[in-house]
Amino acid sequence: MTKRLVQGNEAVLLGAVKAGATFFAGYPISPSSEILAQASVYAASHPEFRFLQEEDEIASANAILGGSLAGAKSFTATSGPGFSLMQEAIGYGHKVGIPCVIVNVMRVGPGTGMPTMPGQGDLNQTRYGSTGDYTSIVFYPSSVTECYEYTIHAFNAAEESRSPVIILSDAFLGHLNEVADLEPIEIPIVPRTLEPLASGGTRLFSGVATYADGEPATADSDEFIRQYYEGRDHRLAVADKYAFYEYGWNKDAETLVIAFGITRRIAQPLAAHFALFRPIRIWPTLDKELTEIAGRYKKIIVIEGSDGQYANVVERMLLRRVKRVPLLGGRMSIEAIREGLAHIGMLPKELASSGSESAAGSRAAQTDVSSVVG
Amino acid sequence: MAVKDKLKVDLFPTIWCPGCGIGLIMQQLATVMDELGLDKGNTVLVTGIGCTGRMGAYMNFESVYTLHGRTLPVAEAIKMVRPELKVIVVSGDGDTASIGGNHLLHSIRRNPDITVICNNNEIYGLTGGQAGPTTPQGTSTISSPAGSAYTPINLQGVVNTNPNSYYAKTTVYHQGPMRKAIKEALGWPGFAFVDVASQCIENNGRRIGFASANDMLQNYRTEYKAAPPGSKHLEPHQLGIVKGEPVPAGNGHDNGKS
Repeated sequence: MTKRLVQGNEAVLLGAVKAGATFFAGYPISPSSEILAQASVYAASHPEFRFLQEEDEIASANAILGGSLAGAKSFTATSGPGFSLMQEAIGYGHKVGIPCVIVNVMRVGPGTGMPTMPGQGDLNQTRYGSTGDYTSIVFYPSSVTECYEYTIHAFNAAEESRSPVIILSDAFLGHLNEVADLEPIEIPIVPRTLEPLASGGTRLFSGVATYADGEPATADSDEFIRQYYEGRDHRLAVADKYAFYEYGWNKDAETLVIAFGITRRIAQPLAAHFALFRPIRIWPTLDKELTEIAGRYKKIIVIEGSDGQYANVVERMLLRRVKRVPLLGGRMSIEAIREGLAHIGMLPKELASSGSESAAGSRAAQTDVSSVVG
Repeated sequence: MAVKDKLKVDLFPTIWCPGCGIGLIMQQLATVMDELGLDKGNTVLVTGIGCTGRMGAYMNFESVYTLHGRTLPVAEAIKMVRPELKVIVVSGDGDTASIGGNHLLHSIRRNPDITVICNNNEIYGLTGGQAGPTTPQGTSTISSPAGSAYTPINLQGVVNTNPNSYYAKTTVYHQGPMRKAIKEALGWPGFAFVDVASQCIENNGRRIGFASANDMLQNYRTEYKAAPPGSKHLEPHQLGIVKGEPVPAGNGHDNGKS
């Protein structure tokens, strides 16, 4: 019997190990530190798995680039502030073509923010955080089992795209404990695609623009443009194979709710009254899939833990306005969602609370675990 | 010749200015690698940002041309994943000790079996000649026209906080001792640091009064003296080697034991 209580962060580590990861370099930061701690414990009894607690997130991100070039499937885990520090290394990974996985267990920002409260405000950072143009592949699971599954998919997508792939999570999901049966899950593992260092070649892995032979190409626009579109088209083609999403709830409803990550779970009580589109692949955007589905609905509401980061993306994708329910300050609960829907005049009367919705009562409600079903 | 096999001579002339000291380091490094049997099957270079970082492109090895200041995290990770490889870091003073300073501080603690060769020209050369972490106090640079305000970092002191490290101070003029230091450093079990005073005539030397690269080299000859044998600490402008207690390299693995 392999069914047991598993924590979201723990499931990420288990997924990484299953995918064949053998190098973790990281730095503690709430709410991701369990991944670091459990990686350390795992390494102590599995000498083929190498662990290094680095001095900061910059070292961590650069270390996994080096570890991957050396031949190991490598990953790190952090939260928003640490993820900000990793941006330069992420861009380098895209420029050079280095497969690796970065886990960002989001909290409320900006700045040091609210370290233990869930947020979803890093979406733009996962797409545009580094300098220049590049093609991010980002997955955001909604359950402990999905934390396991999509970590494996992330490692696979990293190998195929030869780029840093990001797994998003959040303070709620990372610390959520659910009964899960992970061992029987079968996902084919993509083996290493990058020839390790010192295999007989004389390759130059350069962040600086170069020709194939290693000579600097720092003034050759044509060469840059050629390399850029080649890389972009390849990565978009790989991402197409990972077009994960959920479309459900009441598909005949008038209004489509878009929610992802832990928000999708918290919003479950809405299921009888709305249709749901849940992107699991956050970037690249699921233009084709969402456009086709959204066309069936008169109204769209984006419920998310930020001031409209995904709502803005949806409006750009669909070229139409959407309604918004932002869940800010870590207040990610069904009460907050009801208030937000009422605020935009979209709360179904069946869902209006019979009790008082006082500010004090709402503050006390916070994240209501009992309402997380499905 | 076997030494030429270590270099991509078809890419010569190099991008470095006439009179640059970096080529002198590359020449000796290639010679030592030839003597030690280091080749593309067993050795990896990790270079930083700055003129020095361009060295990887000219050597017949796989190399990683990293982000500014990040050679050490990359090098340590490579060594941890592939302990059988020789990992050599080549970077400048700014890359190593300014933006890379925090990593130096912590790599030192972990004593990874890597060798750092620092092209220490006491300036940020590639960007035109700004003051760097090893620029002597009072030096006129692009970012300190009235003379740099601060004392330079104590590189030797930082390295020697690790009692098992190897630190050598040499100059590109002193080719024999430099070659010897590089060779010893490459054979050292654990962290080894070769601090090479090197001239940047175009973006430093001319501004501070040297007429030519040769003048700067002659200045190394007259100003730098060998430290008394057995010195545990080198004074400024002293050449020598300070060896800690050699211990078998642990590669800096935590692996859950710490």
